Amino acid sequence: GRMQPSRLVLVLGLLSGEESCDNFTDLNLSHCFMGTSLYVRLLLYTRSNLDCGRELDHHRLSSQPLFNLSRPTAFVIHGYRPTGAPPIWIDHIVHLLAEQEDMNVIVVDWNKGAANLNYFTAVTYTREAARNLTGFIMTMEEEGAALSSLHLIGVSLGAHLAGFVGANLKGKIGRITGLDPAGPMFTSTTPEERLDPSDAMFVDVLHTDMDSFGLRGAHGHIDFYANGGVDQPGCPKTIFAGKSYFVCDHQRSVFLFLCALNRTCSLTGYPCSSYGDFLDGRCLQCEAFKPASCPVLGYDISRWRETLLRLGQTKVFFSTTASLPYKKLSYRVDMVTWNQYLRWGVVYIRLHSGRHFTEARVDHKLLRLEQYTSTRLLAQFDEDLQHIQKISLRISTGNVIGPRYKIRLLRIRFTPLERPERPLMCRFDIIMDENMEVAFRPLPCNSPH
Amino acid sequence: MDIEMNSFTHNGNDAAPHSSNGPVTASNTADVTCRASEATETDSLLTVQVSASNGQSIPSSPTGIQKNAHTPTEPRTISNIRRELNEVVFWKVKMWMVIAFILLLILLVIIISVALCSAIHRDPDETFDPSLFKVPVYFNGSFLLPNLALKEEQVTSNYSNQSLSADLQNKLADLYRYSPALGRYFSKAEIRVLWNSSVTADYQLKFLMPEEQQDALRNFTLSREMVYNVFRQFLYDQEPGSSEPLYINPRSLKMF
Repeated sequence: GRMQPSRLVLVLGLLSGEESCDNFTDLNLSHCFMGTSLYVRLLLYTRSNLDCGRELDHHRLSSQPLFNLSRPTAFVIHGYRPTGAPPIWIDHIVHLLAEQEDMNVIVVDWNKGAANLNYFTAVTYTREAARNLTGFIMTMEEEGAALSSLHLIGVSLGAHLAGFVGANLKGKIGRITGLDPAGPMFTSTTPEERLDPSDAMFVDVLHTDMDSFGLRGAHGHIDFYANGGVDQPGCPKTIFAGKSYFVCDHQRSVFLFLCALNRTCSLTGYPCSSYGDFLDGRCLQCEAFKPASCPVLGYDISRWRETLLRLGQTKVFFSTTASLPYKKLSYRVDMVTWNQYLRWGVVYIRLHSGRHFTEARVDHKLLRLEQYTSTRLLAQFDEDLQHIQKISLRISTGNVIGPRYKIRLLRIRFTPLERPERPLMCRFDIIMDENMEVAFRPLPCNSPH
Repeated sequence: MDIEMNSFTHNGNDAAPHSSNGPVTASNTADVTCRASEATETDSLLTVQVSASNGQSIPSSPTGIQKNAHTPTEPRTISNIRRELNEVVFWKVKMWMVIAFILLLILLVIIISVALCSAIHRDPDETFDPSLFKVPVYFNGSFLLPNLALKEEQVTSNYSNQSLSADLQNKLADLYRYSPALGRYFSKAEIRVLWNSSVTADYQLKFLMPEEQQDALRNFTLSREMVYNVFRQFLYDQEPGSSEPLYINPRSLKMF
């Protein structure tokens, strides 16, 4: 018969003396059902073998010429694999990490061990896998690698695994990034039994699913809470959506991090005590990080590292859209009314640029409009429109019957938060009916003198 | 009937421990409906027994209980209600007409009172007494009229200095008089035009405010920022690059 193209390549490869690729262990449901016992493989990817992993020998590091210990090394550690299939984001994260700088990317493949129907088995294997990886890193150190140049990126259970490795190495590892650290079995544990800031010189954590598979609380020097760390937009709300109902929120942490690595989304986190306070516009100051901005999720955290270490632990919040590029554009809106009597309402704002518009609905709670008192709110828009020609505003008080009240504003001011180069927009002396839209052309707030 | 009800109460209590024996009617029906699903022999017997008694007790019991009881006698209760609704109250007026009329009346009263309230509502922010506005506040400043400087010769022939000042005064007076926040306090605008290499206008705005609330007004509504920005906003809303002689360059606006 005819030779299959793939086999041809294999044969040619063998003839030219090249090794074949070592890929992530692919298991299926039957393996999970039977249960797997732990086997840790370390797959090396560098800029010269981005699509073809090379399995590393745990003890004889020099046997793999591509492994250069003078370069920084990032370890990617996956979590629990209930189906046994390789994580869909593995190739993507390897490519993106290699783009950041010239480094060794090591995928820690502990699929045999993580692929168990019984989650508790996988949890018990994390300790053992951590010992295994600790041994490997100690060998790396003996061969001349600096612990401070290591970066462990752990997803879910993998985040705790990375924490255990860091604790084994007395917190001397450069950085651990935890992507939605696993919650089940870790909720009421002590810091030694989960990821915590003492596990590495710098620990950053992203939370997306604290109310089911993720872990509540703060576990790093900086904790990013996407949409408050629970219920991500665009994720199904009911069980009828099938598998994605379970994994969507949890997996979003990986997709947000990938997007941040890709630089397609710059997600700025604002330091705050709670998401509610953040949405109320009470946490929009970034003075603590001056001259830098507020911390941005991603690979390069050098601008905030020192400040964050000085601050101890920082919780930062941001909101995202349902899909790529996830970023929302935030404006701080301040307005002052001269109405004698107090009014309560929710605010809808539309920014128009040509025929495009984007809307922010600030309706998570009623705003208080009091005479001569500045009301501050956070307006987050899905789209980033550049030249805003018109703004329309509606204040909905919920009054349906009775007299139609008027709302009178002395001033409304829009401050773009993530674009300091853009001008502040203002409008003065507005009169509007409640529940009715009013449109106006904004003018620059700063007068020439 | 009473005897039947009592016997049921005891049975019900035996099966599902209820502490109180007092409230018989309401809790009984509820108990029965729940227990009907548990298919034991005695229960089904009980259900039959009690539902029969319920059916009899309906005419004298409040309607709430009828809703709760999902018993086979429901078609009969409906026909009972229908019969009652069709009872003649007086002349040819039937019961259902009386009920419908009362409901309509209630609705009408609500609508009328709401409409009345809206109609007689006076906006407290629109009511003010101009005779109380006595304390004057002045704002001075200047602006440039670029279109006059360009074609000075032609314009001077059309425009006497006085008429230009008067037109500008009207323009300023209109802009402040139609301002929702400032209109009521505005008194007058005075203009003095200087013909140099460029045409500059010096202006003085006079506002009158009440003696009460002076501080709040000075800090907010009649602050320099507000008076200045209402003017500036008006200028920004003009057609940019207009050739109109009274066009004022927004960037040249100054207020001290």
